[in-house]
Amino acid sequence: MDLHVPAGSAFGLIGPNGAGKTTFIKSVLGIVRPTAGTVRVLGGSPEDPAIRARIGYLPERLHLPGTWKSPAFLATVARLKGLKPDAAAHARLLERVGLADAVDRRIGGYSKGMRQRLGLAAALLGDPALLVLDEPTDGIDPMGRLEVRRILQEEVQKGVTLFLNSHLLAETERVCDRVAILADGRVLREGRLEELAKAGARWRVRFAPGADRAALEAAGFMAVADPARGARPGGDARADMAPASGGREDGVYTVDAADVAVLNAALDRARASGALLMELRREGADLEAVLVGAVGGGPGVAA
Amino acid sequence: MKSPVFVIAGYVLREAASRKFIMAFMVGLTLVLATVALSLKLEVVDGALAATRLFGEVMRSNIMSVDVALRPIYRAAAYLVFYGGILFGIVACSDFAPGLLSPGRIEHLLALPLQRWHLLAGTFLGVMTLALGGTVYAAGGLTLIFGVKTGYWTAGPLIAGGLACVGFAAVYAVMLTTATLVRSAALCSAAGFVLLVGGILAGFRADVSRYLESGFGRTAFDAVTLVLPRLSALASRAADLASSTPMEKGSLGMLLGGVLVFGLGALSVGFWHFEGKDC
Repeated sequence: MDLHVPAGSAFGLIGPNGAGKTTFIKSVLGIVRPTAGTVRVLGGSPEDPAIRARIGYLPERLHLPGTWKSPAFLATVARLKGLKPDAAAHARLLERVGLADAVDRRIGGYSKGMRQRLGLAAALLGDPALLVLDEPTDGIDPMGRLEVRRILQEEVQKGVTLFLNSHLLAETERVCDRVAILADGRVLREGRLEELAKAGARWRVRFAPGADRAALEAAGFMAVADPARGARPGGDARADMAPASGGREDGVYTVDAADVAVLNAALDRARASGALLMELRREGADLEAVLVGAVGGGPGVAA
Repeated sequence: MKSPVFVIAGYVLREAASRKFIMAFMVGLTLVLATVALSLKLEVVDGALAATRLFGEVMRSNIMSVDVALRPIYRAAAYLVFYGGILFGIVACSDFAPGLLSPGRIEHLLALPLQRWHLLAGTFLGVMTLALGGTVYAAGGLTLIFGVKTGYWTAGPLIAGGLACVGFAAVYAVMLTTATLVRSAALCSAAGFVLLVGGILAGFRADVSRYLESGFGRTAFDAVTLVLPRLSALASRAADLASSTPMEKGSLGMLLGGVLVFGLGALSVGFWHFEGKDC
């Protein structure tokens, strides 16, 4: 695989289970050695401790010493990063990740979300240039996710490069500006999120009730199936989209138009047939659709 | 800035301090030493032990010089510290390395700016600091109690304790190397027990070999025990030192050399394997 992550970007890695996302992250950090090829991180080898000193990492399943308290854990991680432990700075960091009230409690009594927050605090120690986070919001409640997302966005704004592996596609979509889709150890698609999510030239149109369907179809419009009424047991999405199938969404059509001139020509033909336009919007694929489109929608597809 | 080896050693010691099992052992050791200190009364007249009272009861014994009277006690204590210490160490320290190398912790540690060998060296140093601390506490406490009560001071028990630590170092080197192969506390302690038993047999290899039928079995026994550290022989030398018994010239140096070479060899295998391992 060949993947380039621009400095200062927020990069998301998604793919099905077993795609090799965590293995890839481990190879970026020198925990796993590539059988062939080279890995360059921050302009050097991940084997170099000086390079790793500039990386903050949160593993997928962080195993923390249960009998310790969070300040002691942060102080040890700071020492291992070659930093002088700074109790005041650590307290501010714990406050930033929302653990200010838990500093006197043993880590063993923390919830999964609190452990993730502590792991994030440890990753942020020493102001790393690159943050590699493997499922950072796993186990964190929705409000906590907002806080974590805010922290990650603040870091990106500071110029930190963010490399995020999350099974929560909405989170990847909100935080990252670039995404790579990985499957079977290969990068299937990679690029800016809006480029990947672009559906091409398809528009979704809603006409007022009473529009002549035959005339609209003759004008290039395709009726959209209503999932609530049209989905058949065992039927696939493509079959449900077919204009001839039953259970269409009332008045909703799609039309392919390479540019606005072609779109307006199609709309003119529709209006000429007596159809009244109610709503028009460009169809964009969300990240889930991009992932399913790239990997295929079979069972087991998950980020 | 502290070397990562010391930080990892501190990590291990902090983990050890939180173990109830280890704390209970230290409390138990303290209670034994306190009981000996409070219940034993020794009356010394002109360097000779005139009378002994244990829990107020007079113990019948001949009048003899203090150093001679204390020999069996120090000898027994040396064996107890040697074998008891190694056995306790095998059980108590078996999960330090597998814990440090466990999924979710090893990735985090290896992503930090330290070398892989720092992790193993730090774990080894932490465990050996723990072993040395426990030994000094037990042997030093005993020496202090008898020294204060009799006025006879000897470093023998402490040196014997040091030899016990050397023996444990060889055992723990094998346990640490095992941990790099399999992250299992049970298998680590099993490897430690096997080496302890093998080391005891190796100390008596000439005697044991005589009782074996000549042929493949005896040859295999001789070959295997040849490379094992002579732990029982080291325990005997430790007891000799503790009881100020003269020993054969040069025998201790050879024994220590053999144990150290074995321990370093086992550690080298572990370091080499861990260096090339994907975690």
